[in-house]
Amino acid sequence: MSAVEQPANSADAAPAALDVRDLEVTFHRRGRDLPVLKGVTLRIARGEAYGLVGESGCGKTTLAMAALRYLAANGTVDAGQVLVDGQDLSTLSEEAVRKWRGEQIAMVYQDPATALSPAMRIGDQVAEVFRYHEGLGKAEAIKRAREALRRVALPDPDATLRRYPFELSGGQQQRVVIAMALAVNPHLLVLDEPTTGLDATVEAEILDLIEELRGRINAAILLITHNLGLVRRLCERVGVLYAGRLVEEGPARDIFTDPRHPYTMGLMRCVPRFGMNKTDAALQTIPGTLPALGEPLQGCVYSARCPMAKPVCSRREPDLYAWPGDAGAKGAAKAEAMPADPAAYSPHHASPVGEAPRHARCYFSADVADMPRMTPVLATSLEARGATEGDVLEIADVSRTFKDGRRRLTAVHDVSLSLKRGETFGLVGESGSGKTTLAKCVTGLIAPDSGSVAFEGMTLRATAGRRSQDALRAIQMVFQNPDSTLNPAWSTRAILTRAVRKLGAGGGSVRAKVDKLSADVRVEPRFLLQRPTDLSGGQKQRIAIARAFAGDPTLVICDEPASALDVSVQASILNLLVELQTNERVSYVFISHDLAVVRYISDRIGVMYLAELIEVGSAEAVFNPPHHPYTEALLSSIPKLDFDSQQQRIPLRGTMPSLSEPPSGCRFHTRCHRILGDICVNEVPPFQEAASGHTYQCHIPPDELLALQTATEPAAPIEV
Amino acid sequence: MLRLIGRRLLLMVPTLILVSILIFALAEVLPGDVGRSILGPYATDEQVRILNKELGADKPLYERYARWAGGFVTGDWGDSLLLKVPVFPTVMKALGNSLLLAGFALLIIVPVSIVLGVFAGLRRDSVLDRGITISTLSMTVIPEFVSGVVLLYIFAVWLKWLPVTAMPPDGSPFVSRFYYLILPAIPLMFLELGYIARMARVGTVQVLAMPYIRTAVLKGLPRRRVIFGHVLRNAMVPTVTVIGSQVGWLIGGLVVIETLFVYPGIGKLMVDAAQTHDVVMLEASVLMVAVIYMAANLIADIVVALLNPRIRMGG
Amino acid sequence: MATPQAAAAGPGEQQIQANAAAMLEQRRQRRYLVKALLRSPTFMTGFVIVLFWVFMALFSTFLTQSPTDIDAMAILQAPSAAHWFGTDDLGRDVLARTMAGARTVLVIAPLATILALLWGGIIGLVSGFYRGYTDEIIMRLVDVLLALPIIITSILVLSLLGKSVAIVIVVIGALFTPVVSRTIRAAVIGEREREYVMAARLRGERSAFVMAREILPNITQPIIVEGTIRLGYAVFTAATLSFLGFGLVPPSPDWGLTIATERIFLQIAPWTVLFPAAALASLVVGVNLITDGLSRVFSK
Repeated sequence: MSAVEQPANSADAAPAALDVRDLEVTFHRRGRDLPVLKGVTLRIARGEAYGLVGESGCGKTTLAMAALRYLAANGTVDAGQVLVDGQDLSTLSEEAVRKWRGEQIAMVYQDPATALSPAMRIGDQVAEVFRYHEGLGKAEAIKRAREALRRVALPDPDATLRRYPFELSGGQQQRVVIAMALAVNPHLLVLDEPTTGLDATVEAEILDLIEELRGRINAAILLITHNLGLVRRLCERVGVLYAGRLVEEGPARDIFTDPRHPYTMGLMRCVPRFGMNKTDAALQTIPGTLPALGEPLQGCVYSARCPMAKPVCSRREPDLYAWPGDAGAKGAAKAEAMPADPAAYSPHHASPVGEAPRHARCYFSADVADMPRMTPVLATSLEARGATEGDVLEIADVSRTFKDGRRRLTAVHDVSLSLKRGETFGLVGESGSGKTTLAKCVTGLIAPDSGSVAFEGMTLRATAGRRSQDALRAIQMVFQNPDSTLNPAWSTRAILTRAVRKLGAGGGSVRAKVDKLSADVRVEPRFLLQRPTDLSGGQKQRIAIARAFAGDPTLVICDEPASALDVSVQASILNLLVELQTNERVSYVFISHDLAVVRYISDRIGVMYLAELIEVGSAEAVFNPPHHPYTEALLSSIPKLDFDSQQQRIPLRGTMPSLSEPPSGCRFHTRCHRILGDICVNEVPPFQEAASGHTYQCHIPPDELLALQTATEPAAPIEV
Repeated sequence: MLRLIGRRLLLMVPTLILVSILIFALAEVLPGDVGRSILGPYATDEQVRILNKELGADKPLYERYARWAGGFVTGDWGDSLLLKVPVFPTVMKALGNSLLLAGFALLIIVPVSIVLGVFAGLRRDSVLDRGITISTLSMTVIPEFVSGVVLLYIFAVWLKWLPVTAMPPDGSPFVSRFYYLILPAIPLMFLELGYIARMARVGTVQVLAMPYIRTAVLKGLPRRRVIFGHVLRNAMVPTVTVIGSQVGWLIGGLVVIETLFVYPGIGKLMVDAAQTHDVVMLEASVLMVAVIYMAANLIADIVVALLNPRIRMGG
Repeated sequence: MATPQAAAAGPGEQQIQANAAAMLEQRRQRRYLVKALLRSPTFMTGFVIVLFWVFMALFSTFLTQSPTDIDAMAILQAPSAAHWFGTDDLGRDVLARTMAGARTVLVIAPLATILALLWGGIIGLVSGFYRGYTDEIIMRLVDVLLALPIIITSILVLSLLGKSVAIVIVVIGALFTPVVSRTIRAAVIGEREREYVMAARLRGERSAFVMAREILPNITQPIIVEGTIRLGYAVFTAATLSFLGFGLVPPSPDWGLTIATERIFLQIAPWTVLFPAAALASLVVGVNLITDGLSRVFSK
């Protein structure tokens, strides 16, 4: 990581790439004024990488849009300035702004598939930038486009020039977008969640690309994301936004290891660290919910949820104080002495940013390191949960193929696994690996083409419609998308009542059961009367969990249950699942693409690649050598928060093969960095046993693999 | 691309067969006694029996259908019961007249509607947009005979700027036909204006909300390039689709306008045949219209495939 | 977000207050929709126009002269104090006939629309929900029916089945069914992959339940919009059919019929044609303004 020195004084030779001063942005919706950004000040020097983190609704994207002068029609800049390269965009004419876009500032954002014009060839789209910024003719522009594609390491640029966006993979599409953004060498590159939605391995490739490009261009980078590991990997400095306010800022290394604002500390604590398991410690959650967009807040924006809050915090908002320093404490004392007059505080008066390296908007930064922990329920060990008492679920040789036009896609191929009572089985894999299809086969939403699913020894019918009520009660599912998991036309109470009526066993009043369910998932009774659209994402998912538990299930399949939620909400959902498992002795199949989360919550883990289960073992075993080369590469591609665990990034060659034409022999051989030779291409590898209960499908025997994979020793992660 | 066209043509065949069966069923099976329905309740039974024998109505259904369908394909469409002339040339001539009228109307109104619709979409919710939307909406939903009659009164009767009839006197040059077609074409233009403009507007609004437009703007492209290169290309897809499906209502409009202006097109031919129970003429003209309708939809689909590479390549 | 009153009350009372607050919220949301509609100028204009004609359809006989009284002494008279809209070729009062003409259209069109929604709704629901072969077959049939323009098919059928109000209603309803089924099918397909539907299947709910209780309540908006669109088309089609002579028979004051019979007098007595034309135009525009207003409000 290149170290860019923070200038000693604010009067630089070259102007800052981005200079935001006291920016205030308000949105006007349905007659109401919603303040989204309040007095945000930050500077990014030339060539520096700055990460802006925060959860949904904090205003990060709005900041970027304001910088590009691309706010939606109902958003206004009420105060403050945004200077790019020293130039205030609001003073420029339309034509000048157009030139600025692309030449001085460029943007890359989420979902590259929709960012490219679907009816125009790639070559034409990239060439456009050259034609309209440098006035080049068509042929010349195409030549430059080819160069640009080569710069982003796209294989076969000539062929790519002639293709349409839908013919490229997600990773390739994002490379094209980056190529277009960097085409005419902007001074500031804004990346807004550039890898969300991409597979882990693809994400790592894109990050590699960005890092490499940084060495060659002089662009400053503003990285906007909720993914802290990403920021750690790319950025020198970090700013944390909460409810439209910058609450902490400083060098990336220091912020993550020694946060000085309670919110930052809360975020650090609720993210599962690599190697952490639920039996070690519970995730610390942040109480309360994220404030709604534009909600007016009294005093410190975070005080309502802060475990360290004192009366002064809700009376007067702290300024952005330098750290270390006792400006914060002094400010608190001063605030205590003042009369309780909210009008007397001046939110815009802060110590000039850039002079001291770290700032935190808190009176009690000194105490943040000892922030009190909440103590949720700790998961009990496997034995205590009765997880050794025989199999609850047995999947044998399940396969399922789909027809897509003329192609046949085998989504699941001969998968077998078993599950014990009270156990959590984590299922990981990238998109197209078949995990969701497998889950649907188990629950009966899809009938497998071959193979069987047995529950407590009895073979289940293929489709849910044919299964007995007992079978339905016993196996339930929690889905990914909180917005569509509950029927928006029903009241929440009705949803739970119906579930209890259909699945509930035994006597007792339905109403009492519903009340108990909502209490178990910590949703207050008054929310039951509302429609799902009025609940927050976290609440909706809790109700979905309650619904799954309506009939005292034995197995609950969780398909990415927390992936669509903010980090702080995710932690509470995970804790809830762990708690329910301890109390009700349910088994889980937990599907997720987030490896740290899976490692945390699972007792055993299975890794899927291209419709096959290529490795199964205890969580600890699978995450440490010897393990399947794919697992090894997958683990290395995750950007981690822990500074001292420097691992070698293992890039995978090529792209994920298509499900309609899986490679011969070992399906992974086309990308494997440890390929032995022809044996991998021709022969299907056997299942090797690395330890009791830990198997993986590879031609390399365990001891050899262990030696190869431990050549560079990773250090132990540190605790926060 | 060619494979796509070939496949669609192949799919048209069974649909066409089913449609012809439907027409045959409605025309000859539904009324029960064909001869009776032609001659009316006052003819004698003997007359009805003779007519039925002449029509071949005493033969079994499938034989009648086969004879009729086979005849259609080979070009032998029989003779009109009313006019006692061969049906094929009559229908073809009428079709030519109708295509002239419809073509004239479409040629003018399609570009105008698209331009108006795109304008409205670009300046969404502005005064211009509301104005265009409301006025095109109003013009579209008014039945053709209403607008036809009002226009006829204003321009032919009151102001006397345009002729009352739709056909020039015999012997006039071909070009003069267009002058006479102006008045009948205007209601057709109104009809299509609203639908096409609305679809163009909706398409434009949808495309403007797409992320790739944001990319184009943030790339620093001039506004004209964004509109022509990115917005239009993609907004035209739903618009062209709707033009294809609107041909159905256009044909209905032709029926009304030709009746109102007494223009010898296929619409009037069908209405006359229906009113006089001229079954032979009716079946032939309706089937011909169905063929034209399906062809129009096919052309629209081809244009859409040209615009949308994903469909073209089956990706 | 506890209010001061709630904080002061005991737990039981808090529950009751929370219930009341939630119910008020629901009612407020529904009222918001109505208020939005009331505030929409397009919707209100259309609504007023249609209301006017509904009123006329019901009560015109009490307000105007008789629409069928023939007066041989007063044929083709221009508008005057005695006859505000003039008289037609049989001496009948044009104002009375114009106002009464609303009745036929406002009976035929809504009933035909309801039939189309009912049949099209069931077909679309079943086809969209089950997919597979059922869907394929039904959609092929729909394609065949849609291959013929509606006016043509109605002419074909009506010329052979005879003319009566009931037949016209059934024919128009049946001919609109395919289009309605297409729209509803598309809406159903959009909802059917949602996770709450999957959750319902995992509860063992039967298909009929899922279609009626889970999916249907979520597609009411597209159904309503489609219904108003069909209503506009139904008015259009009914009027056109009477004009062409396939709908009603004299002496009905139906607008389409009147325009057809009186158009020969266009040059000498334009009022006999222009007033019914204007009336028909206003009704059709009114219905479509309602459609436009509704779809705008729903899409917000």
